[in-house]
Amino acid sequence: MRLLRYNATNYPGELAIRLCPDFLKHIGKPKTIIAVTGTNGKTTVSNLLCDTLEKAGKRPLNNRLGSNIASGIATSLLSGADIFGKCRFDLAVFETDERSAPRIYPYVQPDYIVITNLFRDSIMRNAHPEYIAGILSKYIPAKAKLVVNADDLISCRVAPQCERVYYGLERLPSDLTACINLINDMRTCPRCGAHLRYEYLRYHHIGKAYCETCGFQSPGYDYGGTADLGGMTVAVRDKDGSGVYPLPSDAVFNIYNIVTVVAALRELGYSHEELMPLMRDAHIVETRYSAWEAGGVRVVMQMAKDRNALACSRAFDYVTGQPGRKKVLMMMNNLSDEKNWSENVCWLYDCDFEFLTREGVELVAATGPRAYDYRLRLLIAGVPEERIVCFPDELEAASHLDLKPGDCVYILHGTDSVDTANKVRDKLLDIAREAAK
Amino acid sequence: MKIEVLFPETCCLYGDLQNAKYLAAACGAEIRWTACSDEPLFARETPDLLYLGSAPESAQERAAAALMPYKDRLRELVDGGANILATGNASELFGRRVTGDDGADFAGLGLFDYEARREMMNRYNGLYLGKFGDMDIVGFKSQFAHLYGADDLPPLFETVRGDGRNRSEKREGVHVHNFMATYLLGPMMILNPDFAKYVLTLMGAEDPSLPFEQAAYDAFERRLAEFSDPARHFVY
Repeated sequence: MRLLRYNATNYPGELAIRLCPDFLKHIGKPKTIIAVTGTNGKTTVSNLLCDTLEKAGKRPLNNRLGSNIASGIATSLLSGADIFGKCRFDLAVFETDERSAPRIYPYVQPDYIVITNLFRDSIMRNAHPEYIAGILSKYIPAKAKLVVNADDLISCRVAPQCERVYYGLERLPSDLTACINLINDMRTCPRCGAHLRYEYLRYHHIGKAYCETCGFQSPGYDYGGTADLGGMTVAVRDKDGSGVYPLPSDAVFNIYNIVTVVAALRELGYSHEELMPLMRDAHIVETRYSAWEAGGVRVVMQMAKDRNALACSRAFDYVTGQPGRKKVLMMMNNLSDEKNWSENVCWLYDCDFEFLTREGVELVAATGPRAYDYRLRLLIAGVPEERIVCFPDELEAASHLDLKPGDCVYILHGTDSVDTANKVRDKLLDIAREAAK
Repeated sequence: MKIEVLFPETCCLYGDLQNAKYLAAACGAEIRWTACSDEPLFARETPDLLYLGSAPESAQERAAAALMPYKDRLRELVDGGANILATGNASELFGRRVTGDDGADFAGLGLFDYEARREMMNRYNGLYLGKFGDMDIVGFKSQFAHLYGADDLPPLFETVRGDGRNRSEKREGVHVHNFMATYLLGPMMILNPDFAKYVLTLMGAEDPSLPFEQAAYDAFERRLAEFSDPARHFVY
């Protein structure tokens, strides 16, 4: 199929749906289905769920090698079916694209739906969080039990017809009470429209909110996480007890991912005593974060989802909060958009490029087809001109970072620039090795 | 100088608010951020620019309701030549009505005799290349609704490539005195340095210059060349 230029991981499902539009209705399904959806973190949460279930001796059918739209789910179900179309699996974990809910949930009705969060995403596809919340509310089946983030007042209120449990993360030392991000899509009370206040605000609209006018407030936690960043653990407490889980990363969104996975698995009936050893070695897949070193230079590849202001803001916040001298190479251009039209760059002005003015950021490289847009955005954010290099050719940009031992270079790349990012990483490591000779 | 930005707590999608910040940085204007629950500045005085940006659908309806008590004052401002800029779906509020396949049906301010119709599962995403007089205009559109019935109103931009007020109308936006409404969204002032200077001149700035002007022109020239390339697709 690759020789014929078909996406081999989706093609069987795509063909099946083309031949039979309600194919998903007819194909055999496992007894228990867990869907994971939301703007950010759904891939990591789905992978962690599958990894943990596999360690527990289960064999969950999943779509981790395919796509999260209807054709990906169909391909996965096809692969799990016997010759009579009956499902050979008891359990499935499906990452599902939130925008694809109308094509999936009428036919594949999950028993549990884990929702990570809802933020602004692709302007073209997702419009704004209220729009996506409306789609989920309309199409999530009433029988599904939701596992939702109490700290996100947009996603935790979707599908009011469904029973739900709430997870969340107790106050962190880094929390604020006022928003420092450009985006906060929950500034007004969803009940009365008055100005919403935050007991603590983590980023954007994530935090614990209350309304002084009508008494509305964020829901309490059924599964509350308390992070210990010194010990790199998070304790998750619920009505039956608590467990302490190691953190694979100190990024707040990754702490949320661990708490989310624990909450979902507790709902499946696993005890903390069972889960703690299973999640001891939880790790994040390398396409999301990986670190390399040569000649005293550290090169970190960090996913910063293109066209997603929030994901990039989180990446900027995380990277600029790391100790030491930092150089940031930005490769978040959406390369597939550039093949046919021109990337809509409005999201750059929703994204907190202002974080890149923080101390320790010595140089920022604007690269790719939108390099000049990035350069302008950086200047408007307040990054001094002398700290910006601008080269549409990513490999050329890598040659102008003036690497020195002790430097840490962060390559922020989007979902479709991974191959180029790998080449840039290799070039940076070569330069660092050469300089160290 | 004063720029009044209406309802920034909700009418703030797609980086729209950066337009006001960029213009203010160019001319030293003070920005008055007016929440939906506040009495607007324009009720008592005429700001040098009144700006309203894109909003989610529920916030758009709330914005219409919040502005309704001031519709006569807004008409007075438009007729008097006040500088008003509405981007994205904000332009819809100044018409007669907003309806949609989501059940939406609410009155606009009625300053102009057009209406907006939403199709919530048929989002339009496109590039835009147009003209404002001799000026080239580039931009992005991403919207659920289109404008209908504005045939007698002068457009803000003449379209070179892309759609205008609706899928079969090439004229884009509305331009009456100094009221300017367009479906172009996001940081259109930053994307269009010549047009930003025009608006600054309307506001009273003499021989205005822009923050990071050369970088803005570098990005603009590249985008203009891309959008002028006949091989470039215009609809997403």
